[in-house]
Amino acid sequence: MSQALQITRARRKNPMMGLTPLIDMIFLLLLFFLLGSDFVSYGQSRLAPPRGTGGSESASQPAIVTLSEAGKLHWNGAPVSSEKLAQDVAALVARHDDQLVVLMPAGAAEVQKISDTLDFLVEAGAASITLERDVFDIDLADF
Amino acid sequence: MKINRQRREIKSIDLLPLINVVFLLILFVLIAGRPTTNHPQQIEVATSTQDSEYTGAAFAVWLKQDDMFYLSEGESVTLGELADYVKSAGIVEQGLPVELIADRRAHAKPLLAFRAAMAKAGVGEIRLKTQYEGAAQ
Repeated sequence: MSQALQITRARRKNPMMGLTPLIDMIFLLLLFFLLGSDFVSYGQSRLAPPRGTGGSESASQPAIVTLSEAGKLHWNGAPVSSEKLAQDVAALVARHDDQLVVLMPAGAAEVQKISDTLDFLVEAGAASITLERDVFDIDLADF
Repeated sequence: MKINRQRREIKSIDLLPLINVVFLLILFVLIAGRPTTNHPQQIEVATSTQDSEYTGAAFAVWLKQDDMFYLSEGESVTLGELADYVKSAGIVEQGLPVELIADRRAHAKPLLAFRAAMAKAGVGEIRLKTQYEGAAQ
């Protein structure tokens, strides 16, 4: 009589894998990316150097746009609506590609208004825009 | 009188849906977000309709709402100090641009003074940081 050798193997219990450390790590990753990310889309406007300091000079006479503190525009000294200014700038740019437009903001004009005017001039077709100080907007404290 | 209350079995909560959702959130943040720049929290830059690429610059100056210039949180710096810094840091020699992070409520006077001072110091290009807000209607 032969007796078959019986090996009894103890059944291993299938232990549940702990998910808590995994969840902790995922939450930490989520926090890291949430705090380390920026959802705002930034851009930048290039400010050309002032005239006479090495910037490119236009062959044509520069067109001067004045921006008042209240946001009103003047074209070569005369008050002008934004629509008329856009037409005039587009006509000038059509004649001279490198037409220089000089924007002269009042000292108390806000940066946002300057940015709006720069956008407006670029949309009108002006490729060469520079900022200059308004010569009539003199502050005695500077002297 | 004995009341036999049946003990409720505590069922383990299935965590897989939670993990799935959190992974999806991570994916969303990774795709929709961009790594944070050195943008100071208290400065709201001007909005712009021009979709220009933001490349930043090696040297950034903050112009806060109080019309004062800062290099970091703390004390303000004068235009003379900024001009000395760009000269000594080699920004002028290497022809690097300077970034101006200006608050939208700051005024034109310090902005123009900054540009004039940088031009005098030899800086060729100034980049004014803006926030793209979509094309104008």
